[in-house]
Amino acid sequence: MSLPTLGGRRIPASLVTTAILAIAVVLAVQGAFSTRASIARTFSEQAQIVQAQLALEQLLRLQIHEEDSVRGYSLTRDPFYKEQYASITSDFARKAAAVRHILSKAGLESGRQNLDDYLSLQSNWRKKIAEPLLAHPGRDIAQIDKENKAFTDYEARTTDEIRATLAQANDRLGKSTQEQVNTNAYLRAMWLIILGLAAILVNGYRSRLATELQEERSTTEVLQRAFRSEHVPLPNCQVGSAYVAASSHLAVGGDVFDVYRLSGTLALLFIADVSGKGVDAAVLTAFIKFTIRGIALRRRDPGAMLAEFNTAFAQTVENPYLFVSMFVAVLDTETFQLRYASAGHDSAFLRRSNNAVQQLAVTGPVLGVMEEPFETKTLYLEDGDTLVLATDGLTEARTRQGATLGEAGAMELIASTNPAPQLMADEIVARVRALRGNQLRDDLAVLAVRVREAEDRDAAI
Amino acid sequence: MRRSSFVLALVLALAGSVALARADCRVRTGDVVVLYGTSDDPDVFLWDSRFRMRRYQEGTFDEMNALLPHAVLARPGTRAVVVSCVARFVRSKFSDVPEDAIGVKIVSGPLRGQEGWVLGSSIRGIYHRIRRRR
Repeated sequence: MSLPTLGGRRIPASLVTTAILAIAVVLAVQGAFSTRASIARTFSEQAQIVQAQLALEQLLRLQIHEEDSVRGYSLTRDPFYKEQYASITSDFARKAAAVRHILSKAGLESGRQNLDDYLSLQSNWRKKIAEPLLAHPGRDIAQIDKENKAFTDYEARTTDEIRATLAQANDRLGKSTQEQVNTNAYLRAMWLIILGLAAILVNGYRSRLATELQEERSTTEVLQRAFRSEHVPLPNCQVGSAYVAASSHLAVGGDVFDVYRLSGTLALLFIADVSGKGVDAAVLTAFIKFTIRGIALRRRDPGAMLAEFNTAFAQTVENPYLFVSMFVAVLDTETFQLRYASAGHDSAFLRRSNNAVQQLAVTGPVLGVMEEPFETKTLYLEDGDTLVLATDGLTEARTRQGATLGEAGAMELIASTNPAPQLMADEIVARVRALRGNQLRDDLAVLAVRVREAEDRDAAI
Repeated sequence: MRRSSFVLALVLALAGSVALARADCRVRTGDVVVLYGTSDDPDVFLWDSRFRMRRYQEGTFDEMNALLPHAVLARPGTRAVVVSCVARFVRSKFSDVPEDAIGVKIVSGPLRGQEGWVLGSSIRGIYHRIRRRR
């Protein structure tokens, strides 16, 4: 299984999982809205049908009142019934138009046809029964009653059909909605199961990857511990160092530093940062450490050391994406002359005894990129001065707000730390970690070498 | 001998058909009933033939009108005695449930003494005749 890529870069598993969950949420919400719309539509249509049913019942009531008026006039000859008949007939026409409109609007064509039959029958009843009776109330009431009943019976059948049509439409709507809701629910459930499985797979892949990285990290840390320098005591100097691995990356980076005595008074100091992470970078740190030591035993000029190392690096390392930034210095522990060269390594600082901090210049490009000469610079340390070398974990440290510490920030931080080298190294690491809530984005190595004060030197002797 | 056998077979067949027809009727011969239609139209047609009554229920409006001379209108509340019953005889396309055809003899009102057929749904207030146990 492999994760999708975007512009050649692999999308993080957590992002894929989040995207899957987001899609699942969107699908669930969309499903809920769709179901709601479906139910609302059905309710609206059912409301129309119920409206038609009520209107029909009212119409039938009017029909009965119409018949009662005719019967009342026939029996009593009271003109009140005649007026009532006229009024009800008018109401009947209005109500019939309303029922017809609802049936048409609801698309119930058969119901509308039955209504038309019923209205036609009612019209015939008026002509054959009601109007002759109103005109001649003395007619044979028994015969008229029979005809009237025949009308009533047939009208009852017709209206029963309209009722049945409305009830069927109502049932159909209910079933249709139920089916829609069920289908919707099944579809959503299926999608959610698929997405859930995908999220589980991605999460499994992520866990496997994390385990592999953790194993690699353990291996790398073992290697790095093996290759990292012990503190070699230097005459007239104090040395301190600290190393801390990044919190957010499982793979360990390729930071390395070394303090190595070349002779009784000369000491080799260097710090390097290999691009990339993992076992390759860790192995490369060993290569750097012992190669530089070897070169330094033959050459004392840091620029020449870097140039020779650059050639060896290009011949040895085939990976074109690997390069190294490195600061190399040779310190005379008698005269405190410091000769140094820097291959693209800008995290090298000198803190004077008055706490003023200056950055040591880069004197050439990073190693492994091009064949270029490296300039050697010379300066003299004084009592209480401290050479502070770090990897880019210092200058590229980020605050919670996302701003990088930068060179100015690093210098400010160094100026405010304890002057004792080990305390200084530990404090730098602690304060960089504190910038982002005890989290480090990159590995950080710090090497500090301080010239003892004259009285300290005498005491040491 | 042959004649008496034929008569016996005929009687048995008639008795069997009547018994079968009465099997599902909700009234029994001799029951006293009250005639009443629907609340909207309580009058009840009393038909001279159950077949005409069935045609009236199934027919068109014109057919219904043509059959009217064969019916008299009994006022609601008219009392009658059940003399016959044919279960589920009237099947209307407008109703899922077939109705019984019930032969009655009117015992009250202007139609007293007249016999005819009414729909099962027009029969109310049934007073079952008390039968003696042997």
